[in-house]
Amino acid sequence: MSDRRRINGPVGQTAPPVYASAPGKRTARQLGDDVIRKIFLKTGVTPSASGSAYLEVEDPSTTSPSGTSLKLTCTVHGPRALPRSAPFSPHIILSTHVKYAPFATRHRRGYLRDSSERDLGVHLETALRGAIIADRWPKSGVDIIVTIIEGDQNRDSPEYERDEGWDMMNVLSGCITVASAAIADAGIDCVDTVAGGVAALVAKDAKSQPSIVLDPDVAGYYKVFAACCVAYLPTRDEVTNIWFKGQLPGADSMIYNKLVERSLVACRNANRVLVQSLNETVRQAQIPS
Amino acid sequence: MAQTVAVPGQLLGPADKYAAGAGTHIHEANLYSSLLGTIAVSQPPPASKAPGPQKRLTKIAAALATSTNSTTTNTNNVLPTISVSRSAEGVGAGVGGVVEKREVLPEVGNTVLCRVTRITPRHASVAILVVGDTVLEAEWQGMVRVQDVRATEKDKVKIYESFRPGDIVRAQVISLGDQANYYLSTASNELGVIMAKSEAGNTMYPVSWKEYKDPETGLSEPRKVAKPF
Repeated sequence: MSDRRRINGPVGQTAPPVYASAPGKRTARQLGDDVIRKIFLKTGVTPSASGSAYLEVEDPSTTSPSGTSLKLTCTVHGPRALPRSAPFSPHIILSTHVKYAPFATRHRRGYLRDSSERDLGVHLETALRGAIIADRWPKSGVDIIVTIIEGDQNRDSPEYERDEGWDMMNVLSGCITVASAAIADAGIDCVDTVAGGVAALVAKDAKSQPSIVLDPDVAGYYKVFAACCVAYLPTRDEVTNIWFKGQLPGADSMIYNKLVERSLVACRNANRVLVQSLNETVRQAQIPS
Repeated sequence: MAQTVAVPGQLLGPADKYAAGAGTHIHEANLYSSLLGTIAVSQPPPASKAPGPQKRLTKIAAALATSTNSTTTNTNNVLPTISVSRSAEGVGAGVGGVVEKREVLPEVGNTVLCRVTRITPRHASVAILVVGDTVLEAEWQGMVRVQDVRATEKDKVKIYESFRPGDIVRAQVISLGDQANYYLSTASNELGVIMAKSEAGNTMYPVSWKEYKDPETGLSEPRKVAKPF
């Protein structure tokens, strides 16, 4: 690890606790395939930021007391003046940072940004840029920082090695939703509330046919063939970002379209949570006075 | 008025019924909210404030009103303005500005209050503190160039006879300026230095359009003085 300024934790994975009864193989969730996991979303969690939000996704098939699988916080700083060295800009300059907490995934993360975090940051920026009305804020910049506290990787699933990065899709969709809430909280003009959603083509066990599920709980399936994360503006009916990963079986040429369509459904579901949470934010502000 | 909540992207109404105010945008002839907050609809005041542009507005609105039999019993046919803001008036004011989180930007035409930070023979650098009635959270850099200090005898203006570092200046934004600075102007009677301290450190009072006087030492210093209201 190149970071020598800090006292770093152990590199690589840490051993999970061993219990008397070994955790069994995770079964596919009890929820239906067309249901996304429950989302908790709250704005205004960081007082020092101009806008902030916190998002949690439940883990439906867990026995642990916390019962979550994804935890994100987002802070928005700005709009503020650009640094003196920056050239004139007639619109707002977005800069997004996505950072995994060192303990967020099974493999310990470093403090420095790695390529997957940079990748998530670029995807998040394109997703948000389509939603923000940039020319309302000339000559200003805004920093959007998402911290991943828990990275949607199940710790008690026995197949540790079979980690192909599918959980990054879920993380990105969470990042988009939480950043959208934080931007609305910061009072930056948007054309719509953008929300993220994931659909995946999975096989539930060794013999079953591939099927499309929303918001996949990766550890619960036998194999994930492909996944698609979409950022979607529901009232505009526009997609601002799409991330597709994996191999599709060649037989059905429409399966790509189907996968995108299903992820739009996931986006709409997430958006409902987002709108509800934003409504609550305004109401809470009204009640004390 | 009912406190209706709007989230970004929420449909507010057709663009021929309302005029777009702060926190809204128009998409395909419909008005949508672009901010999170409460909706406020304000009827425009009767046309008497600004005779020039108001006249033209009435003409356009009259043409619209005949085509879309609008039922608004508005005397001068100006559309009501719909706007979305985080703290509706009255609600936010009671808490003392805690609810108001939205940052505003200086815009061309705004009157701003600023503090002089640095002077050179060509310009005075200022930090913009207040835009209109809103105190800014961030400090924005501004610049009063020597040709914008006053409207007459521009060639005789000397920056050090107009401003000193630490002065509080009322100015108008004339341009978004370059990469770092907003360009400001004080070329009006009402604009200029409104608070100044003498070299001895005492708060001075204005005695004429170009002089401030120290009440303790009795010395006067040159400034571009703003006409008191």
